[in-house]
This record gives sequence, C-alpha cells and structure tokens, in this order.
Amino acid sequence: MNPMCRLGEIARFTLLALALVIPESVTATPSSSDPSDSLASAERPFVPGGYDDKPHLRGLFGHIALGGYAEAHAVWERVDGATEEAGFNLKRWNLLASSRVGRHVQMWAEVEFEDGGSEIVLELAQLDLELHPGMNLRAGMLLVPIGRFNLAHDGPRNAFTDRPLLATELVGSALSMPGFGLFGRVPLGGRGRGTYELYGVNGYHDGLLLASPDGTRLPEGRGNVEDNNASPAIATRLAWSPAEPHELGLSGFAGAYNRYRVDGVDVDEKRSVRIAAFDARTAALGIEWSGELAVISADIPPGLVGLFASRQAGWFVETTRSFGHGGLRTMPASYFSVGARVEGVDFDRDLAGDSRVQVTTGVHFHPSPESVLKLDYRRSRSRDRFNNSSEGAAVQLSFTSYF
Amino acid sequence: MNADRLHLERARVRPWRPSARVAAPVAILALGLGLAACGKLLTTAPAPGDLFDAPLDGLSAAELAAFAEGDAQFGRPFSVTEGLGPIFNNVSCASCHSGDGRGRPENALTRFSRGTDPARDVGGPQLQDKAIPGAEAEQLPAGVDRSRRLPPPVFGMGLLEAIPEADILANADATDSNGDGISGRPNWVTPPEFLPAHGGAPVVGRFSRKAQVSSILEQTIAAYHQDIGITTDFLAAENTNPLASVATEAADRVADPELPAAAVRSVVAYLRTLAPPAPGTETPARGRGRVVFGSIGCASCHVPSLRTGPSTIPALANRDVALYSDLLLHDMGDELADGRPDGQADGREWRTTPLWGLRVMRAFLNGQAFLLHDGRARSVAEAIEAHGGEAAAARDAYRALSGADRAALVDFVESR
Ligand code: HEC
Ligand code: HEC
Repeated sequence: MNPMCRLGEIARFTLLALALVIPESVTATPSSSDPSDSLASAERPFVPGGYDDKPHLRGLFGHIALGGYAEAHAVWERVDGATEEAGFNLKRWNLLASSRVGRHVQMWAEVEFEDGGSEIVLELAQLDLELHPGMNLRAGMLLVPIGRFNLAHDGPRNAFTDRPLLATELVGSALSMPGFGLFGRVPLGGRGRGTYELYGVNGYHDGLLLASPDGTRLPEGRGNVEDNNASPAIATRLAWSPAEPHELGLSGFAGAYNRYRVDGVDVDEKRSVRIAAFDARTAALGIEWSGELAVISADIPPGLVGLFASRQAGWFVETTRSFGHGGLRTMPASYFSVGARVEGVDFDRDLAGDSRVQVTTGVHFHPSPESVLKLDYRRSRSRDRFNNSSEGAAVQLSFTSYF
Repeated sequence: MNADRLHLERARVRPWRPSARVAAPVAILALGLGLAACGKLLTTAPAPGDLFDAPLDGLSAAELAAFAEGDAQFGRPFSVTEGLGPIFNNVSCASCHSGDGRGRPENALTRFSRGTDPARDVGGPQLQDKAIPGAEAEQLPAGVDRSRRLPPPVFGMGLLEAIPEADILANADATDSNGDGISGRPNWVTPPEFLPAHGGAPVVGRFSRKAQVSSILEQTIAAYHQDIGITTDFLAAENTNPLASVATEAADRVADPELPAAAVRSVVAYLRTLAPPAPGTETPARGRGRVVFGSIGCASCHVPSLRTGPSTIPALANRDVALYSDLLLHDMGDELADGRPDGQADGREWRTTPLWGLRVMRAFLNGQAFLLHDGRARSVAEAIEAHGGEAAAARDAYRALSGADRAALVDFVESR
C-alpha cells in the first residue's frame, strides 16, 4: 500500500472513530425547532423547496417577481479506470417569474437553459385560480407530481451536484407536461396538513420506446406538447405532513403513450405507462432524511418484448446535516453541510442485470442559504444486460445559487 | 406571502458548538468514504491482456484512431427512429457479443433453410424474432432445417483474415489420406453480390460457426442487415418478413441506406485490429496439459499456431497466431450435428473453434461459460465430452487419461 493511500485510510478511520466517540451527536438539536414549524399550515409553501418557495419571491415589483438560479459543474468521472468525462458545464441557468393578478389568480413560470444553452425549455408556466385553500384550479405547463423531487429540484435545494438517478434516468425530471387540474391543502389538526394534486396531463409519447436505443426509457418520451394520441394521462399526489419538516407522499400516474388511434381509426393497441411513487422526508438526530421509491410498468408491443423493459424501479435515500453556522466571521450567514445519498435504479426488473447502484457523499459550503458550493464524491456499480458489472467514480465540484 | 418566512427560516444563524455539531456530519462523511476502497478511489482498469476489446500491439496513431471510432460504432445501439428493424434480433453488435466476446443462449440466433436453399420465401436464412411497432416478427416456419448459433467472440478476426489461404489448405485432408480419422476440409464460398470482391473466384470461408463467411466486411454488412435491421450503402434494401400479414417495410420510416459505408468500414477496421487476450502464465501443470493436448489428438484440429502473410497493417503481417484452430470443417458426429448445411458445410460439420480468450470468458458473462456452437456446454470438460465424429478418438483418449492429466489438459485449455 502506498503511503498516500495509508494516510487516507488512517484519516478515514479517525473520522469514523471521532464520530462514534462524541456522545453529543445523539443529543444534537433536531431542526424541528425551526420557527417555520409554528407557521399555520396555510402559510407554509404548498411545495417546500418548490415553485412557491423561492427567494426571488421576496423582491416583488408590484405584483411581479423575477429571479432564477444558476448551476455550474466541474466533473471528473472515471469508469473501469478510464476517464469518461473531465470538464466543465454550465448545467443550468433558469429564469423564474411569478405574478399575482388580482386576489385570486397567480402565474408561475420557469424557463430553463440547459447545458450551456444547448437546450431551452419552458419548464413551468402555470396559472392558478384560488377558489378556496382546499380547492384551486391549475392550468398550463405543470410539474408532474411524481414523487417530491420532481416538484422541488432546483440546484440550491438539491442535496448534491447530480439529481437522483430515479429522477433523471427513470422518471425524467424535470418532468413537466401541459395539463389542467385541481390542487389544495387541508389542515389536519395543529401543525399538520394534507395536500393533494390531481391533474389531467398529456402524458409521455412513444419516444420512450422509439427514440431509445437502450430499452424502455421514460425520459425519451417527454415533450408531448400536443397530445400524440388524444388520450390524456392522469397524475396525482397526496401528501401528509404532521409538521415541518416531516412529510409522506404517495403519487400515481397512468396514461397511454402510443398513437393507437389516428383520425378515429384504431391503428394499434392502446399501450400505457403507469407509475407509483412514494416519498418521505423527516429529521431525526439533527440529520435531515429524505427518500423516494418509484415503480414503473409499461405495456410493450410484442415485437419488442425481451429487449424493452415492461417493469422498472428506482429508489434513493439521502441524509444531510448542517454545521458551523456563522463559523466564518466574515460571512455570518454561512454554514457547512455534509451528506450522503444511496440510490439504485433497475431499468429492467425482469433481467438480472441492466441496473445501477451508487453512493454519493459531499461536503458543501453555503455562503448564504441561497447559494451552495458542493464538493461530491460518487461511486457507482452498473450492470449491463449480461449482468457484467463496471465500476464508476466521480469527483464533482459545483456552484449553484438563486438570484 | 412566503417571502418573509423564507428569510427567517434560512438566514437564521446558529451558535457554533463543535462537538455536537461536527460529530454527525463527520459520521456521514466517513461512512460514505468508507465505501470506497483505498487505491481504487477512482476505479482501476483491467490489464489490456484481460480484455476482449484491446487493440493489437504496434498500431500506428492513425490505426488507433480508426480503432477507437470502430469501437464506438460496434457498441452503438440503434433506436427505431435511427433505423432499427423493421425485423431484427438485437440493437447493437455489442448487445450480442458481450464485451466483444461470446454471447449467451438468450441472444443466440436461429438460422434456417431447406437443405442448401436459403428459404427466402418463408423468411430464411435467419429468424428475426423481434420487430418494431407496425412490423411483425418472424416465426419459425414448419418443415425447415434449423441451426441455433451462439455469438462467438470477435477479437483476433484480422489475424484470421491475414492467414494465407495456402497455409489453411495445407492442413486439409478431405479424404483422410493419412488415416488418422481426421479429414478437415475448407468451406469454399463465393463472395455475395453486395461485396466489392464479388465476381472473383471462390475463397476459403473463415468466419462464423461453419466458416460460411468470406470476409470481415461480409460478416459486418450482413450483421447490420440481418441482426439489427440496419441498411448500409452495401445492402440498401430492408430485410422484411415475407409471411407478415402487413407490409412490414412500411413500419421503418427511416430513409435507406441507414448507415454510410464509412461507418461499416470503421467497424471492419476495428475488428481487424482487435487483439486476442493474452494467454495465462505457464505452470508445470499447463506444460503437462500442452503435451497431452498434442498427444491425444486435440492439436490435429485445434492447430496451435498458424502464421499470417503480408498485410497493409504492419501489426498483422508475418506473425504467429496462437489460435488453436485449422479453420477447417470437421464432422463432429450426431450429437453436435444440426442437420443444416451452410454453403459447402454439411449438417454434421463445424469449423474448428479457435481456443483463445477462454481464460477471461467468464469475466464478460457474469461468471458463466457457454461453449460450443449453441452454448450447450458450461465448461471445457463438457465441451470435450460432446466431441464426436472425427473427434471421437480424441474424446475417448481424454476419457482414458488419469485424473491429473485430465485436469492439466482442461487447465491448459482454460488458460488460453
Ligand atoms: C443477434 C445477435 C448478434 C448481433 C446483433 C451481431 N452478431 Fe455477430 N454473430 C452472431 C452469431 C450468432 C454469430 C455466428 C453466426 C454463425 O455461425 O452463423 C456471429 C458471428 C460474428 C463474427 C464471426 C466470428 C467468428 O468467429 O468467425 C463476427 C466478426 C461478427 N459476428 C461481428 C458482428 C458485428 C460487426 C456486428 C454488428 C454489426 C454483429 N456481429 C452483430 C450474433 C450476433
Ligand atoms: C476433429 C477435430 C477436433 C478434435 C480432434 C478436437 N476438437 Fe475441439 N472442436 C472442434 C470443433 C469443430 C469444435 C466446434 C464444435 C461446435 O461448436 O459444436 C470444437 C470445439 C471445442 C471447444 C469449445 C470451444 C468454444 O469456444 O466453444 C473446446 C473447449 C474444444 N473443442 C477442446 C478440444 C480438446 C481439449 C480436444 C482434445 C481432447 C479437442 N477439442 C479435439 C474440433 C475438434
């Protein structure tokens, strides 16, 4: 073993030992003492970290608020000893806008410039009509409520540089679709509340099979701007939160993806995608936990069965812990955090291979709550369709901030 | 409005109490780092000799650049919108040839014909059991001769191609004039119309399980056309299912040809310069195995070494190739017979399989081994036991060996 290596080994175990012998770790104040807990359920954002919970909303010019966030990445990634990627990327530069029209109507929008502007998408453009806190109408380009991450995924709020695999590889976050529907919140005693969302949306299109060379991939079926099959999909999420930051959510999605009827003529069998997701977040022992689980089932045409998956699944669990608040005299609002995420995706549940598991750890510096400098280390094991494994590792440095 | 609340929540400055605050973060971090073994912090590469997709030694920079391009092309999966189908077997070369090595029974393919008639009227000579939406996959018609074929490894192809015809023919003994019970013969094949070589004299076939294919170029063009449903400048009309109830070609809306000649040639350049994996280290037992391999007659067919002739690629020219094959056809008896002729090869004959890359074959099939033309044997010993026909004497001699000699022989073969 080379000396550098031994040093690393020793450092690692010292850290671990330190962590175990410091008894106070167990008694650290949980963040549930946050003042936000005392807010009445109606004043809490509908989606914490989501569309109605962003710093730009502080600076209203009349009834209009403008802001955004930027996310710059540097990555060094290796797979089986060969460098796959080493470079820089302006991953996202997003503009946020919202506006209040009269007492009951609100507009929320987000335009995303991805990968240095090579892709520009209208990620969000929704109009809300408030009838009652428990019943609101929503229309436009909506974030589809499949799990919580898709609803709250901005760089500064994402615990790591990368988004969870479940979101990017399986569901296709950020996933937005044109839609129409209802949402609302219901107080459930004390600080508790329930929320619901129920929308009709255009659903995925058949790109999830036809544009994907690797097997079933829902992200390839995004962008169904004009419903390809004149058959809407349904998306819904129910969440229960006894108090911040505890929440449980259940989501469901179902809809046909292929063109099975053209001009009233049946040209194919109707084939659908169904997704069920479960999400949870909480805080315990001063550590914030969150996780998601999603299972997907898709109807596959007979000629593609065996190569294209009809069942997929993914999950992640992540923990973060902040420390050193105000520790830097020159930056009183600053703090640090560390975190770990463990996750897996199974692209084809009927095959032993075609899957990936990975672990990410990171140390993050927050100059203020709106900005984060993240240093992450990621380790992954992928299995191909032959169930052969390959090892990946990456070091990522990213800087992201709201503006 | 949530704005003020946000201010409150996020900007709160907490007191700095080192022990309590640091412990949990440190634990999280240490646990994460603990999952990565030291020295492998950024993963390690296998040795080039342990791979199926390493280039030959001594390639020029330009040859290596072509190699890298062909490597990507070999691994490239096709989507329906890129031309996959209408009928096909799999989405890329690499999806059948795992890590450029052999496949497994699940992605083996079926050839069928009526005797030497390729049975094109019912979809022969290959069964395409997958189809894109709008097309119909083929089903095996009744009353045809069929042959199930496991994908063989694709390294060392350039070396096979560079062996002069005369040297292969030197080992042929069609009438068994030396009376050793072994009568290898070549499969003379006429290059098909889509090849530039078409119109010339028949050549000795070297590729595929019955040596029915004349060149790497032919194998590659046919694989794109038949296995993946990708038309090329060489073969620009789609393969279709003649028994489909609808016109299957209408389902593939991508203009033909779907792949330019340059991409095909890059794959050919890649296959030509793919190195066979290095054999394992010599041990006394393996030395013994090598002797037994010769003495019981394995080496009569699995000829240990052939020499290449001149080549435009210097790394291929005039060198010994330890392929353990004569590239000839042998009658392997009833048990291995498929009853389906392929060119001049009859229903009992197979090309002597080169014995190379066996040392690492399991690494690319998740620890499993599939040997023989249809992958039926799960170990070298099982493969030898299945030998019959011209190889029956060698098999019987193998059975008669002492336990130690048998183990030494298997170890020798598995170290190739
Ligand atoms: C559906 C699975 C499948 C796909 C896809 C496939 N192959 Fe093959 N390949 C085979 C099988 C099976 C054989 C043996 C065929 C036979 O014996 O008739 C073979 C044989 C070969 C050989 C000859 C090997 C030898 O030992 O003689 C080469 C070279 C080859 N393939 C290259 C390719 C290339 C290049 C591609 C992509 C363009 C490709 N293959 C795609 C299954 C596949
Ligand atoms: C008469 C010629 C002949 C003799 C003698 C012979 N083999 Fe073979 N061997 C073949 C042929 C032909 C095949 C391919 C058969 C098939 O695929 O069905 C083969 C296949 C094999 C395979 C499977 C390789 C693979 O990758 O699938 C092994 C291993 C093998 N032989 C080892 C031996 C050993 C060891 C001996 C001596 C005991 C031996 N052979 C004797 C002709 C011969």
